[in-house]
Amino acid sequence: MSHTTLKPAAAPTGAAASGEGPRSASGARRGRQPRAIPYTLLAPAAVVLAVVVGYPLVRLVLISFHDYGLRSLFTGVSPWAGFANYTAVFHSADLVPMLVRTALFCLALAAATLVIGMSCALMMKSLGKRMRSLMVFSLITAWAMPNIAATLLWTWLFQPTYGVVNWLLTQTHLFGDLRQHDWTASAVSGLFMVWLLVVWQSVPFVAVTLYAGVSQVPAEYYEAAELDGAGYFRRFRVVTVPFLRPVLLLVAMMSVIWDFNVFNQIWLLTAGGPHGGTSTLVVWAFTKAFASQSYGQGAAIAVLSTALLTVMMWYYVRRMVHAGEGL
Amino acid sequence: MKAVRVGRVGLNAGAAVFCLVWLFPVYWMVNSAFKPSGDLTTETPRFLPFPLTLASFGDAIERPGFISGLYNSLIVTGGVVLLSIGLAFLAAVALARFSFPGRRGFLIGMLVVQMIPGPAMLIPMFLSLKSLNLLNTLIGLTVTQVAGVLPLSIWILRGFVQGIPVELEEAAMVDGATRGQVMRRILLPLTLPGLIATSVFAFIAAWNDYIYAYVTMKDQSKYTLPVWLASFSTAQGNDYGGLIAGSVLFAVPVVVFFMVIQRRLVEGMTAGAVKG
Repeated sequence: MSHTTLKPAAAPTGAAASGEGPRSASGARRGRQPRAIPYTLLAPAAVVLAVVVGYPLVRLVLISFHDYGLRSLFTGVSPWAGFANYTAVFHSADLVPMLVRTALFCLALAAATLVIGMSCALMMKSLGKRMRSLMVFSLITAWAMPNIAATLLWTWLFQPTYGVVNWLLTQTHLFGDLRQHDWTASAVSGLFMVWLLVVWQSVPFVAVTLYAGVSQVPAEYYEAAELDGAGYFRRFRVVTVPFLRPVLLLVAMMSVIWDFNVFNQIWLLTAGGPHGGTSTLVVWAFTKAFASQSYGQGAAIAVLSTALLTVMMWYYVRRMVHAGEGL
Repeated sequence: MKAVRVGRVGLNAGAAVFCLVWLFPVYWMVNSAFKPSGDLTTETPRFLPFPLTLASFGDAIERPGFISGLYNSLIVTGGVVLLSIGLAFLAAVALARFSFPGRRGFLIGMLVVQMIPGPAMLIPMFLSLKSLNLLNTLIGLTVTQVAGVLPLSIWILRGFVQGIPVELEEAAMVDGATRGQVMRRILLPLTLPGLIATSVFAFIAAWNDYIYAYVTMKDQSKYTLPVWLASFSTAQGNDYGGLIAGSVLFAVPVVVFFMVIQRRLVEGMTAGAVKG
């Protein structure tokens, strides 16, 4: 069930499907075509990709070995710097806090997204039709909201004097008078605000995808488990989780990738501040390059974070390559 | 029996709380956009937008940069969609209908490219555009956005082409049609739903881009709508009515299109990487 899920008429995801999908129009079947045709068709896209993806990637690595600063921007000349950019990054006092913050933030985002998304999927499975439609509607609305619109909306919701969040929190009388509370004043509350936004934005994809998986679990499995005396949580553990494993893994990996790369939300809500306290690796690379005009160091950070993400996602990449065998 | 009923109530209550929390920001957005601007800054927030007014929308539209932002966004987005879909269709046919050395590698490459952080690509893109004198131009921005949109477009479209029975093409070729005719007369019309879905995906991705436009466009006359909106909040922190109304205007086309293709987007994202 690799590619057949893409068919327009297929079930919502088919992601967790059992693999019975007929490999109807599998591409590999027509091997007797004149050789040049596929390459001719592929060439325009390949050329464009080489220019807009391949070349920048190579250049990114090259820049990271050059002393590319403000002067180079105007002269176009940048001296070879060897590993100087990398040494500078490794010796930077910011490195460890950045790594720790990025890892924790990414983990907190992915964990919350998965737990809430999974709960949504399970709730939707047991809910009545009307309530379920309402949940789907809520999810789709949040999902469709453009990133920028949502982020700007957040600045208004959390606005210190007139923001509705501060007002609501004050009404609960749990935290005292928060009406003048500035969420961006401290790193922890700034990150918390960004965290809320990103979780709000990412739960829908996870919930809808997992729901598609959950709804494909055959009812007999649950009946059998119930006959054996399994309670709700045990049924979840022995039936739902094993059945959903491939989708769960996919969703977890994608969440980690997206959360690691969160930029707009941080940049527009806190700009990485105060004092770099809400900055992650991606934001750090950006500010090094575009605010400090040190493109070489920015590139080095970008290379390191891409490498870090690739190592973290090694399993995922291997899985894609493995899935590629069935393409 | 009683436990079951308690469970039902708890379940529905949980779902209700979830819907409330998830819908609240959007409700607040609409509420704020339609309020008279004086009602935005009340001691106790007003939970209903009455008396309804479109003043904030007027305020947003009349601000300098809205018309040019809309124009720039439409040009760039249109260019990205046309370029990506044209290239992706040809590539998708090659990948779905032929077997050739390098095919698998290409497909895996399309997936792996998705993992590269967008901001990482920004540095070389910016410097290349700078040396080509393409900073601050719509063409430069269009090209950089194709990088983000094309790989996934190819991937999604390939799935749609595969879904079309190959027998139709074979029959046409037996009847003497050329490869070109088969593609134009048979594949193209049959792939139309897929082309539309992929175009909508490309539209949303390009329309929503902020960071590339933010870095490459220096003059306000070259801003796209997202950059215009974001600059709006930093320049004048007080005009939340206009900001939120502008965000609503910006979001409406995306929300509408998203509702149309949402189902297929899920398929496109999960397929390929999943092996059930």
